[in-house]
Amino acid sequence: METSAIAAPPLAVETIGLTKRYPLTWKRKVLVALDHLDLQVRQGEVFGLLGPNGSGKSTTLKLLLGLIVPSEGEARVFGLSPDSLEARNRIGFLPENPYFYAFLNGDETLRFYGKLCGLSGAKLEKRIEELIDLVGLQNGRERPLRSYSKGMLQRIGLAQAMIHDPDLLFLDEPTAGVDPLGSVQIRDLILRLKKMGKTVIFSSHLLEQVQEVADRVAIFSLGKKVLEGSLESLLTVNQSTQVLIPTEMTPQQQDKLRQFIAQGGVDEKEIRFTRPHLSLEQLYLRTVQNQPDVAPKEQSRP
Amino acid sequence: MISSLHRILIIGRNTLTEAVRQKVLSVLLVFALIQISSSIFISQLATPDLDAAGLFAEQIKLVKDAGCGAIGLFGFFIALLSTALLIPQELDKRTIYTILAKPVRRAEFLLGKFLGVVLLLALCVALMSLAFAATLYWQESIGLATVEANYGQVGDWQHNAHAREMHDNDVALIIHQVRDPQLVEAIVLIFAKIIMTAVIALLISTFATSWIFTIITTFLVYLIGHGEGMARTYWLAHGAETTIWQSGLIGLIALLIPDMNSFTIVDEILAGHQVPWHDVLNLLCYANVYVIVLLAVSVVIFDYREL
Repeated sequence: METSAIAAPPLAVETIGLTKRYPLTWKRKVLVALDHLDLQVRQGEVFGLLGPNGSGKSTTLKLLLGLIVPSEGEARVFGLSPDSLEARNRIGFLPENPYFYAFLNGDETLRFYGKLCGLSGAKLEKRIEELIDLVGLQNGRERPLRSYSKGMLQRIGLAQAMIHDPDLLFLDEPTAGVDPLGSVQIRDLILRLKKMGKTVIFSSHLLEQVQEVADRVAIFSLGKKVLEGSLESLLTVNQSTQVLIPTEMTPQQQDKLRQFIAQGGVDEKEIRFTRPHLSLEQLYLRTVQNQPDVAPKEQSRP
Repeated sequence: MISSLHRILIIGRNTLTEAVRQKVLSVLLVFALIQISSSIFISQLATPDLDAAGLFAEQIKLVKDAGCGAIGLFGFFIALLSTALLIPQELDKRTIYTILAKPVRRAEFLLGKFLGVVLLLALCVALMSLAFAATLYWQESIGLATVEANYGQVGDWQHNAHAREMHDNDVALIIHQVRDPQLVEAIVLIFAKIIMTAVIALLISTFATSWIFTIITTFLVYLIGHGEGMARTYWLAHGAETTIWQSGLIGLIALLIPDMNSFTIVDEILAGHQVPWHDVLNLLCYANVYVIVLLAVSVVIFDYREL
């Protein structure tokens, strides 16, 4: 008996020929920041935008938020125009290197953004509690944001982006300037959001992290999308096989194995034996996470 | 509609809180309060050859001139600085992105920011007016005490009808000078003029790329606004001699730039001339229309601005 194909989730984001040009009046030229982008992101996906600086990632996010107007083409968010209030009710945004009102403390910041989203009273206070717990900012609730570290700012930024429990989150370089441990916490948060069924579109320069969380990625260069697909399909090296053996092989054992494989018609010179490596991030995290907690504890004044 | 107003209020309150916690504006305000209070020393420059009551009346007038002048001047600077920095600060710190990514319209954001500035200016003018009132009260106390002391030296003046009448006149003159209800008109007009300055700065900042440009241009518009009245007077006096181009240019300037010179009516009030509330209300209506029109234009420009 044939099983019927599972319907794909509806689209969270769709762009058709989305283009942004900036006229450089003095030079009599036009800068094409984004060139005819066709993109579809389904609900529940974690989608990574990759590319060097100035490749069009942030422009894409700004267009999807309705902060700038496309020169050509169109963008839809949940089938709505990005600058409609209905769409923005379902969107959360963390800008790159976010600065917030430095004179507000953590709680006040979330209260301000919550009220803008129509939350109030006990519901808002409960949401603030939840988010402070979620991003681990208990020690920053009463401190003004001007005293926050880069990582703390990034976390309060994530919390404000999630204050109204949006279905779609745009995160522009969410781990920029954050230490590796904080970076992993943000990665875990994205994974948790994915489990909650949220759609996350984020840009990052940390390729390994993107690899760990993204379902699909698009690579941008000079304003154009040059590659798009699932990580599985993009990263699999076809026509080769990797075997992992949990012991160290002697040269004799390697020769025997090489000869055995060569009997199958493979050129002996093409067969390589290497030891697996940890990534530097894996090494760092193993080292740091195994250390006892030696952070100075707060002491009450005598 | 209600939620829209609610969002404008939230942004306005946040803008006010930010401005109040900014040290530059606080320093400016403290400076203004000191300036107003110290006007009592300026009053010592009054013509010394007047009689006691006349001297004090003159001194009180100097305090009033200096006080209203300080409220207008510092109010102008606070309005100019706080409004010119509104949008550039939001863009530099990218806080605008986090707000406009929420269900907030650009118009709500801009009006909220302006509301915050208006609240700040109202607070500053109220504080400066309190300092002004306290200074006037202080000057009145000194004046009355001096009059009493002078008459005390004369001797039994209370039983001399003429001396009593002179004493009562002197006291009435001082009290009349200090407790002048027209001062309320003057303060309201100064506030309206400050708000007009703020709305001009807001309009320019919606398309300006730097706050320095906003400050310089607002200042120029302010100056032209003062010269505009004189130009119109000249035009009306020499109507037959002007060409159609000159008339058109003056008409265009009158339409685009508010006539700040109309607010010299405050000088009339301070000079002791009676200015009816009717004239004040007319001027307030004129200011109101300008503020609403410039706000509407600002909203339209800001709506199309690339962020």
